Amino acid sequence: MSRQYTHAVALFFLALLGGCASKPYVVLVASPDGSTGAIEVRTAKGITRVDRKDHAVNLDGSSATSFQVAEPKLDKDFSAARAAQPALPKSYLLYFKTGGTSLTEKSQAEIPEVLQTVRERGPSAVSVIGHTDTVGSKAYNEKLGLSRARDIARQLQENGLQALELVVTSHGEDNLLLKTPDNTPEPTNRRVEVTVR
Amino acid sequence: MKKKITVFARFTIWPLAGALLTSAALAVEPATSIGYVMKVQGEATVSIDGTTQSATIGTPLYVGSVVKTGPAGSMGVTLRDNTLMSFGPNSEMTLDEFLFDPAQEELKLSAKITHGTLDYISGTIAKLKPEAVEINTPTGTIGVRGTHFLVKVD
Repeated sequence: MSRQYTHAVALFFLALLGGCASKPYVVLVASPDGSTGAIEVRTAKGITRVDRKDHAVNLDGSSATSFQVAEPKLDKDFSAARAAQPALPKSYLLYFKTGGTSLTEKSQAEIPEVLQTVRERGPSAVSVIGHTDTVGSKAYNEKLGLSRARDIARQLQENGLQALELVVTSHGEDNLLLKTPDNTPEPTNRRVEVTVR
Repeated sequence: MKKKITVFARFTIWPLAGALLTSAALAVEPATSIGYVMKVQGEATVSIDGTTQSATIGTPLYVGSVVKTGPAGSMGVTLRDNTLMSFGPNSEMTLDEFLFDPAQEELKLSAKITHGTLDYISGTIAKLKPEAVEINTPTGTIGVRGTHFLVKVD
């Protein structure tokens, strides 16, 4: 192959790269909380890690090098997808007095707020997860977490919750908000997490 | 240890889903949906096992569901682990795998977009086990390390 011919072929492909606006790509953007995470993109050219916002990688295996994408192009390519983004899920942490299923006064006052959120958002899926501190056995706490979660679910229903679904589970003492040794009373860990999504 | 799941009540927003979910709620192991359509504009469908229906707010999604939008359509879905995915026109994605049981450490999310555009915001699965999430495209795979990204294929 002559050098000139190779050159022409190279130029031809460069023109294709530059001119082709519909190349498949993935671009990392800022997260809703303002931070930027990372993605790892695997193509025929290998693995590329991207951890800077508005940086992209082609997905067709033409190159594994990341590049910056300007907002007008993102807007052109993704305005419809962005506009269809559902509301961000919203979580409430409700806290309990020790041992039983009574909420603290402050958390009791938040129940109407949860219901208001569901009403405002329209059709929503609601999950209620019970958590305990490490006082008592693992099995006891799994049950306690479930009875706390059921109690909250019942309160939500009695106060007119309308949802696509209401799913109630318990993580017992497995998912501590504040890590403690076993048999440690800890108000922060005695909670039910209600998520509206 | 199997954690108990209680499905309390499912109110009908979308009539057929109501019927399906009521029977699911009575089952010992409810065949729970993995998410719902939360936003729709224009032509958009959800298919599973060869049955296609128009997407409306509240249409449930299951493992194996295929979401699709028409030339002027768009759609947004929310999964049980708080993952948000929304699609621009002429898009198609299959939800291949979804496991979300943190207490049992069963976590997996795998989906494939074959056409169109996707706006993706990761949820709890990516937070707890980043390597359990992959978004596939015809020519490349995106591994999620907890974040927000946009994908265009075609």
